[in-house]
Amino acid sequence: MKHRFSGTSVFQFIRRDLILHKATLVTGLLVALVLLFLFCWLNMLWDQQLATSEFFGIFGLFYVPLGILFTFSLTKEFNNPKANHLFLVLPVSVFERLCAQWITTTVLYTAVFSILALAVGTLAIIMGIITFRADFNLLSLFSAPYWKVVQLYFIIQPVFLVGALTYSKNRIGKTALALGILFLALLFFNFILYALFNHGYGIFKGESLGSDAFDLASADFSLLGKWFYGLVFGPLMLVVAYLKMAEKEV
Amino acid sequence: MLSIKNLYFNYPNSKPVLQSIDLDFKVGNIYGLFGKNGEGKSTLMKLMSGLLFPTHGFCSINGKNMALRSVSGLQHIFLVPEDFELPALQIAIFEQINSSFYPNFSKDRFYGLIDEFQLSTKDKISKLSFGQKKKVLIAFGIATNTPLLLMDEPTNGLDIPSKSQFRKVMAAAVDEGKCVVISTHQVRDLHSLINHVTILDNAKVVFDHPLEVVSDKLWFGRPSTSDADAGIYSETSFGGKTIIERQDRDESEMDLELLFNGVLHASPKIKNIFQNTNHEA
Repeated sequence: MKHRFSGTSVFQFIRRDLILHKATLVTGLLVALVLLFLFCWLNMLWDQQLATSEFFGIFGLFYVPLGILFTFSLTKEFNNPKANHLFLVLPVSVFERLCAQWITTTVLYTAVFSILALAVGTLAIIMGIITFRADFNLLSLFSAPYWKVVQLYFIIQPVFLVGALTYSKNRIGKTALALGILFLALLFFNFILYALFNHGYGIFKGESLGSDAFDLASADFSLLGKWFYGLVFGPLMLVVAYLKMAEKEV
Repeated sequence: MLSIKNLYFNYPNSKPVLQSIDLDFKVGNIYGLFGKNGEGKSTLMKLMSGLLFPTHGFCSINGKNMALRSVSGLQHIFLVPEDFELPALQIAIFEQINSSFYPNFSKDRFYGLIDEFQLSTKDKISKLSFGQKKKVLIAFGIATNTPLLLMDEPTNGLDIPSKSQFRKVMAAAVDEGKCVVISTHQVRDLHSLINHVTILDNAKVVFDHPLEVVSDKLWFGRPSTSDADAGIYSETSFGGKTIIERQDRDESEMDLELLFNGVLHASPKIKNIFQNTNHEA
């Protein structure tokens, strides 16, 4: 029963989370959508158009940070020593809790934000046509730039979920710091590996070693690296989040 | 129902809070868990509800280890903590989002108690006083109809009329199928409510007996001159009230505060009297 999974419990937990965080979510969405509208509209001031790639570039600026903030907001109860007793003694399994929070902060959030952002983007284009005589462009979710942003969010969101569950104070700052250190460590590790295996081929000129390192380590993902970061890293972080939830004491 | 076996607990880098705890809590009883401040009452409540994990030993409800926080285990238990925060929602919405997880939750009971506590379902919890918030949580806890209800210092923050209201509500809430454990250091508040006393001292259980056994073994009152030397423990501050081994005396009115102080100050003598008494209610 520790690992029980009930769709009804997951649904009830999602409903509970959404009601508890309704005000935060609505305020965050409104602020992000207003800013998204302004960025899209003002973008048309220069070249009288809002290309799909430009729109989803702006979309990513709000979609990813807001999703991360929402993740931190949703796990606030978990780390509040005066409120987490009610959360932890609810008869819901750890797996159900994790599924509910993951679905809320990724699938539901992405669906809601994407639809609203698309509507706001279209509205900004219409405003651009009226005010700047901009070209019309039909924005669509069935475009590569959109799915790239979504993919990125789905990979990094579990990392922030783990950070949100791990730290009780200065959670965003500490998670960002940990992620920064991890990124630098991976960069350094990738560079060392690359240097070890390829140094004999004379690919390093010497004078631009630093920039070479950064370019190679950040751009040259091997097939194994792509597979690891794209498919394994996110689920691995979800497993860590599961263990954090299961081991939580007040 | 809830069984604690050879339980030890200490917070990281600190001295033991609980040592060698063996307790059984059975349905149909209201247990008073007493102890001085910092003796581990709240810690024990958290261990019983799975919010803390024992360093050694285990705590189980109907055979389910509470440290695993299994759904079936959690459906049997509700904890009203001493200090808590509730979400800034209307009482009715608070009930709606949390009650669905408890299969035996009684909405009628909850709204009946909210009414009895002179609260409105439309009241926003964040605007209520701490005592009123406690009443909301107590009402919710009773309405969950879990077989085991744990209450940590439930009368803290309640005014005098509310304390007697609490006793009335609790007396009506307990039936044969339920067990209530109330932890407190305000012994007098629960005098008329409990039927079993458990006392913690120096991280251990020093007393654990049903009140009927206590009444059977001990006599509370002002002793006659012939009994002056027979006193186990006496307090001059309350008109010289004394605990004496009852033997063939008439049954006396129980004085929980005197018993509590007696257990703490004259533990070996009291232990000796209860030596052959089993822990059964």
